[in-house]
Amino acid sequence: MPYGGAGAGEAPGADLATLLSEVARGDRDAFEAVCHHIAAPVFGTVRSVVRDRCQSEEVAQEVLLEVWQAASRFDAARGSAMAWVMVIAHRRAVDRVRSEQKSAERQLRAASHAVAYDEVAEKAEANLDRERVRRCLGSLTELQREAVTLAYYGGYTYRQVAGLLGVAAGTVSTRMRDGLIRLRDCLGV
Amino acid sequence: MRTRRPEPHTLAGAYALDALTGTDRAHFEQHLARCEQCSREINGLWEATARLAAAAATEPPPGLIAWALAAAEQTRQLPPPSRQTPARWPARPAAMTGLAGAARARAAGRLRRPWMPRLALAAAGACLVVAAVAGVAAHTAAHQLGQQQLHSHAIAAVLAAPDATMLTARITTGGTAAIVMSHQDRSLVFTAAGLRRLRSSQCYQLWLMGPGGDKSAGMLPGPRHGMTGPVIASGLQPEDHLGLTIEPAGGSPHPTSAMIMVLAL
Repeated sequence: MPYGGAGAGEAPGADLATLLSEVARGDRDAFEAVCHHIAAPVFGTVRSVVRDRCQSEEVAQEVLLEVWQAASRFDAARGSAMAWVMVIAHRRAVDRVRSEQKSAERQLRAASHAVAYDEVAEKAEANLDRERVRRCLGSLTELQREAVTLAYYGGYTYRQVAGLLGVAAGTVSTRMRDGLIRLRDCLGV
Repeated sequence: MRTRRPEPHTLAGAYALDALTGTDRAHFEQHLARCEQCSREINGLWEATARLAAAAATEPPPGLIAWALAAAEQTRQLPPPSRQTPARWPARPAAMTGLAGAARARAAGRLRRPWMPRLALAAAGACLVVAAVAGVAAHTAAHQLGQQQLHSHAIAAVLAAPDATMLTARITTGGTAAIVMSHQDRSLVFTAAGLRRLRSSQCYQLWLMGPGGDKSAGMLPGPRHGMTGPVIASGLQPEDHLGLTIEPAGGSPHPTSAMIMVLAL
């Protein structure tokens, strides 16, 4: 199923996986089309984790360049192209905050940890992806939802999430798994 | 059981969310390498996290794609994984983390390169400058800077010049200045944060001061969200100093008040 929303629609007919295989052969036009396809979700995700706009821009640059470099490693048999790209993006984003985030900044982020989910929840607008995700997040238990969104949008480790929520780490890890499975089933992906 | 470590399989969700670090992650990845069912599960969970990503989609900065295209021109792609050692999917980027940085450094000036990457690279440079000036207020100015960049070859050229150097200085009446200069381009880009607000009858004026005398380098525009600039000053001479004064609105041919910042260039 194609992704709708702000990041898609620039490459009618050409599906992202096909474009990526062209990128793997060094096709610059295909890379540009891929960039137009992924820039918005990549930047949005990185931004939600990193927060600082300048650093987010740097990380987003690294992600796009890595997609160019590593396109040959994408294997369509294992999953969608968008999932492959977003794993790269999210890893780079958390690597950035974990390597550079000072404790004070983390404190600040801890204080505002609910923002990311609220932003997603509030800005439903006419974005179909956002609306479906919002609805499916709403179907999780509160602990599942908090655990998933703090880790994904906040970039926290499961042990940090456990600390923030005052719950045992083992409980958090099982809630993350249950929550993601429920989310996956609800989204039908 | 010696240590209280969760059953590996229960960590699949945390792994898919990049919420494992250090030994937790290493432990899980060992398990993953032996567990085909876990790999399938992780792949499925990544489809769900990709939807979380799509839901967070945000208008990217204007120069982002141009930067990527320019950087790709100069970056060699990885070959497909060999059959003997199939890559994990996606390969953990540890081995690659240096590459984007290396590409950036390369493009930032050690090699001859076409104009496009210089411009695109300048977006990152500008961002760093502004960040250095004022953390929290930075993003608006960075955005402006990014936008202006696209229209201003001169500023882009200075920020991306091979010999570009950044200096910062305190302004005695309040605020901090950041300057990126290139002697090669004989130009500098000035930005400031937190400048004291002036009466409407006054303005800030920049000066290039050298053996040949003082020369106006232009008046600063009013602040936007606490950020001033960027302003470009050209005609830089060796041994020049950069000065800042408060002058009557409209500026002066020569400084008429005490310097509130002096910077050796």
